[in-house]
Amino acid sequence: MNVASSPGDIGASPPKRAHNSTWKDVAIANGSVVSIALFFIVVCVVFSLITNSFLTTPNLLNIVRQSAPLLIVAAAMTFVITTSGIDLSVGSVLALTATLSAVLLQAGLPWPLVVIAMLALGAAVGALQGFFIAYERIPAFIVTLAGLSVIRGVALLITGGYSIPVEPTSFFVNIGRAWFLGVPVPALLALVVLVIAYLAFNQTPFGRYVTGIGANAEAVRRAGVDTRFIMLFVYILSGMAASVAGIILAARLGSGSSNAGQGFELDVIAAVVLGGTSLFGGRGTILGTVLGALTVAVIGNGLILAHMSPFLTPIVTGTIILVAIWLNFRLFKGATRSR
Amino acid sequence: MMSDDETYRVRMTGVCKRYGPIQTLDDVSLNLKPGEVLGLVGDNGAGKSTLSKVLSGAVIPDSGTIEIDGKVVSFSSPADARAARVEMVYQDLSLCDTVDVAGNLFLGREPRSRVLGIPFLDNKRMHDETREMLDRLGIVIADTRLKVENLSGGQRQSIAIGRAASFDPSVLIMDEPTAALAVAEVEAVLDLIRAVSARGVSVILITHRLQDLFLVCDRIQVMYEGRNVAERKIGDTSIEEIVNLIVGRKFVARSARASRGEAAQP
Repeated sequence: MNVASSPGDIGASPPKRAHNSTWKDVAIANGSVVSIALFFIVVCVVFSLITNSFLTTPNLLNIVRQSAPLLIVAAAMTFVITTSGIDLSVGSVLALTATLSAVLLQAGLPWPLVVIAMLALGAAVGALQGFFIAYERIPAFIVTLAGLSVIRGVALLITGGYSIPVEPTSFFVNIGRAWFLGVPVPALLALVVLVIAYLAFNQTPFGRYVTGIGANAEAVRRAGVDTRFIMLFVYILSGMAASVAGIILAARLGSGSSNAGQGFELDVIAAVVLGGTSLFGGRGTILGTVLGALTVAVIGNGLILAHMSPFLTPIVTGTIILVAIWLNFRLFKGATRSR
Repeated sequence: MMSDDETYRVRMTGVCKRYGPIQTLDDVSLNLKPGEVLGLVGDNGAGKSTLSKVLSGAVIPDSGTIEIDGKVVSFSSPADARAARVEMVYQDLSLCDTVDVAGNLFLGREPRSRVLGIPFLDNKRMHDETREMLDRLGIVIADTRLKVENLSGGQRQSIAIGRAASFDPSVLIMDEPTAALAVAEVEAVLDLIRAVSARGVSVILITHRLQDLFLVCDRIQVMYEGRNVAERKIGDTSIEEIVNLIVGRKFVARSARASRGEAAQP
């Protein structure tokens, strides 16, 4: 703004070195999203051909209803992983909020209060873990691994291992079971969360700093940004997202079980990584995460419809993760100079 | 004549910093007048970068005072230094590889437009202003949406310099700003330093290219093992004296002899 006169040319390079980008360049630049989109389409086409019931409206709505918790937590996990962090405790937070909401409803608390209390609990758990990660500099893997163990333990302790029923007449169950405008409510909740996550990730300074911290945290700090608070905040987001998932699950199943969400954190991380977000940080995409989560959900659903063993699901999912990432590394490399 | 306090843009006194057993800075002072260009030289590990990071808020000193325009300041983070209009080009450039050119230039001060009280990035304004800044500085980068990882070393360095120089600084610190640059680009950086100092910006230039110091600096400060050892007005010194001060003993450097062969005899 104020450099009025500065002749010469810094960074001179011959003009027209960069040509206008074609669709192919765009595809390579967004290689991770393109490759998971291809996988998603292939999986959908295969199941449409080998089963009659896959490509029907009720089944598709059922898939989005069942995958709502995964979509919501994966959106938040995209922020965490993009800062080059990880949150292993989301499955345990889901179990804790599912059981506690059932317990509180049984104790006679009105449902809106229960929802608010659970969101606050998720945020508090996230803030506590985020404090150790961002301010005390303990690796996120260790902090959230401890969280995974402790939080699940608390849920088991509260219930004694039993699942707690939710009164089916309570309005609370509508969060998981009701339909609105022909769409399941959990799917609508997921849609709202995803739109907010997309805007926050791509269009706000917060999203920019999340990406920047993953790429070069010290550079962002030197630019005058409070990087520690941003890092703390992404764990608050993942904690709250896990509590929303816990509420939806308890409402849909009509009970809160302390064994809910075993291995859920791995599904979430798989969906995020499948979508093309780098575990090393600095590169994340909400769109890819949505496709990754839906691919995981479609595989589970399609294998059951095809009358194949549901135990094939983890095998197929794991194979696709490896192949998708491998394709991403091989086919679409060349978008960057290094790495 | 104004009082001493008012004539200095920056006064650092008694700055100490210790990393474990190593006293990186030992009672170091630094004075800088408005519009002055100070060359800060010393061997590797002499404490130049640490001293400049203290002034930019990236390193918090153990003791010592910093005055800016006569006011005592205490920088607890780079944000404080930025607010006092101290900008720095870091030796490692401090760029985010996966963020685009405009995002790096505006990092930490993105133009925002509020919708329902929520701050959103004003991308159009950011890219338009980036284009203007790059053109004004003569930096050739085809697309402000390119990610920084796709740029050459010289272009990356230009962005780091442009970022520090473009937001109306009152003190500009440059730590090895010309390390990755070609000859013509080095000339452009030296021109930039002359242009900003003519506008009253105080500049601290850290470089190993001693001949550059004699082209743009008013004064040279030499550090040796964490201490100030000498300060010379540019007219009163020569490249071989500076070399001797840097290495801390009488030393006839070949680089010095090459430029002033007749004066370099022991």
